[in-house]
Amino acid sequence: MLRLLRTTSFRFTVIYVLLFTTAVGVLGAVLYGATFGAAARQTEQTINTEITVLADLFATSGPGMLTRVIRQRTAWRDDGIYMLIGAPSGAVLAGNLTALPPETLTAEGNFFDFEFERPRLDAAGREQGIEQRKGRGKVVRFRASPEAAQSYLLIVARDIAAQEFLRDRVAKVIMRILYATVALGVVIGLLFSRSLLRRVEVVNKTARAIRAGDLSKRIPQSGAGDELDHLSTNLNSMLDQIERLMAGMREVSDNIAHDLRSPITRIKNRLIDAQKGDATAKEDALNATLIDTENMLDTFNALLSIARIQSGERGGAMKPIDLVAIAEEMAELYEPAAQDAGFNLVMITSPTPPVKGSRELVSQAIANFLDNALKYARGGDRIELKVEPTEIGGAVLSVSDDGPGVAEGDRDRIRERFVRLDEGRSTPGSGLGLSLVAAIARGHHADLRFEDGLPHERGEDGGRGLRVVMAFPPFDGS
Amino acid sequence: MRILLVEDDAEAAAFVSKGLRQAGHVVEHALDGESGLNMATSGEYDAYIVDRMLPKLDGLSLLTKRRDEGDETPALFLSALGEVDDRVSGLQAGGDDYLVKPYEFSELIARVEALGRRRAAPASVTTRYQVGDLELDLLTRTVRRAGRKIDLQPREFRLLEYLMRHARQVVTRTMLLENVWEYHFDPQTNVIDVHISRLRSKIDKDFSTPLLRTVRGAGYTLSDAD
Repeated sequence: MLRLLRTTSFRFTVIYVLLFTTAVGVLGAVLYGATFGAAARQTEQTINTEITVLADLFATSGPGMLTRVIRQRTAWRDDGIYMLIGAPSGAVLAGNLTALPPETLTAEGNFFDFEFERPRLDAAGREQGIEQRKGRGKVVRFRASPEAAQSYLLIVARDIAAQEFLRDRVAKVIMRILYATVALGVVIGLLFSRSLLRRVEVVNKTARAIRAGDLSKRIPQSGAGDELDHLSTNLNSMLDQIERLMAGMREVSDNIAHDLRSPITRIKNRLIDAQKGDATAKEDALNATLIDTENMLDTFNALLSIARIQSGERGGAMKPIDLVAIAEEMAELYEPAAQDAGFNLVMITSPTPPVKGSRELVSQAIANFLDNALKYARGGDRIELKVEPTEIGGAVLSVSDDGPGVAEGDRDRIRERFVRLDEGRSTPGSGLGLSLVAAIARGHHADLRFEDGLPHERGEDGGRGLRVVMAFPPFDGS
Repeated sequence: MRILLVEDDAEAAAFVSKGLRQAGHVVEHALDGESGLNMATSGEYDAYIVDRMLPKLDGLSLLTKRRDEGDETPALFLSALGEVDDRVSGLQAGGDDYLVKPYEFSELIARVEALGRRRAAPASVTTRYQVGDLELDLLTRTVRRAGRKIDLQPREFRLLEYLMRHARQVVTRTMLLENVWEYHFDPQTNVIDVHISRLRSKIDKDFSTPLLRTVRGAGYTLSDAD
């Protein structure tokens, strides 16, 4: 319960209820004032009119006439008007008020409220005891002549019991509406807060589970498609990204542990041996260790690069790039080396739309393809670097050679880490080149394929060569 | 050159200091960022070599503080962080060059000396370079040796321009890849060697004194001195 009261949504509800209650209160007050203020004014106006008429009558016809008129009026009309005329002696001359109200003595000339008794009438008009009524009236005094010492007393009043009753009822109703508004607001606020709290609790539960170590947990969606669902979606994709990053880091540490342990052990053993050996053995051990550490550094760097590319850490560096220009620059860099190695490096390009990527990484991938072609396409003499558009608006970059090629069964294996086909073992290299390229391709959402390259007449396997293809998706403009 | 080396790995620092002294430089060494900053503030140096990850004050902040003070001393960052973004943040902090660990010592020497050269010839706009009887004119984009015009491809021209700007200094393959081709990775093929030998065949072939020489285990140098 306390938690509910502390929620933001409850606080908002309280503010809302306060505003709403104030509005209802103002509305009620205006309605009340307008209705009953008007009724009271009307009552006073009626009384004033009566007094004016009666005062005229007194002035023109004297107290006898006034007494008669009042007697008549009060005898045959029960319209809630009460009148009383008293003689200077204090005797009641006529009227339907049974007693002189005590307020009469002090309230001369002003309106005053008073209580009085009158016979209760049943449906047939017979008297059935006494009832208490409330009235509002005015008292005036007339002198028979300006020089008369004594004055007559006239009270005109109106029964306001019904009006008062209605006023109390309306006031009560308005108060009840206010109470109901507050109560309803609080209840709705609590319900709101509870449902919101329940949904936030789902997020919290997921967060706790993740903190406890289960990084695969995701926040379930309510399906309402509201802002909380959007928040959950965003949090989930953030979690995906974190999980990917952590998987990448775990993989790299696994790989480092796995692939650097053996050379380190080898170095250690060699150094222990060298400690016991003669100067020549020491010299040999040093040289071998130097080569080993250099290879280890290469491996280490390549592993780190792969992990960083894979985890998408460099996604921010992606921008529209021109594959043709990048390929031409790489061709220009490699052309002399290719010629020296006996290859004719040929650029084949057609106008190609830009793709989203990193110049550095794509260049590195091309360098890798060209390095491989120069290294493994033995006996060949032609390397084609080709950039062409795809039908769906993407771009394809490919490097084809007319070397011995790679058997179909091996094509998927060559992109794995440290996999070196038997023919490649004698040449230098870490075995990480194509894994790096595969990571670059994934980072660009590009498809990496190995196909038959340039056909030729040499070789026992039909002379198919190798074509490495990197197919980039269309640039979506974002 | 007087060089301030800020490096927390004492063994690596001793190795670098020794090498730089053998090459004729004066080296002072700080083990952490704060003392490095103090030494840089109070001393006069021709170049800073700053590791990026340092105790107390990291290398980026150190250099940013010096640059804010108006200190223009050329600086080289050493770092185990080698990705493009890291290089960019290093250069943005005011670094003039960036070398990723592990590096060849020859690479470090070549780059530090290139930094010192940059300071010796401040911002004066040079449009002509000359090494021996080899001349390069940036305005007309022509190259002459002993008065005879030599035709170069655009990239060969840029390669020669870089070598001439760092004449009589060792220039490594990585420096050429970074500055002439703007790549920050090392291809496995000896692509740079082949470009150099092509350039050499154009500028040295018909002349008795070779200017573009290979420095074993380090790189190349363009020099008319023996």
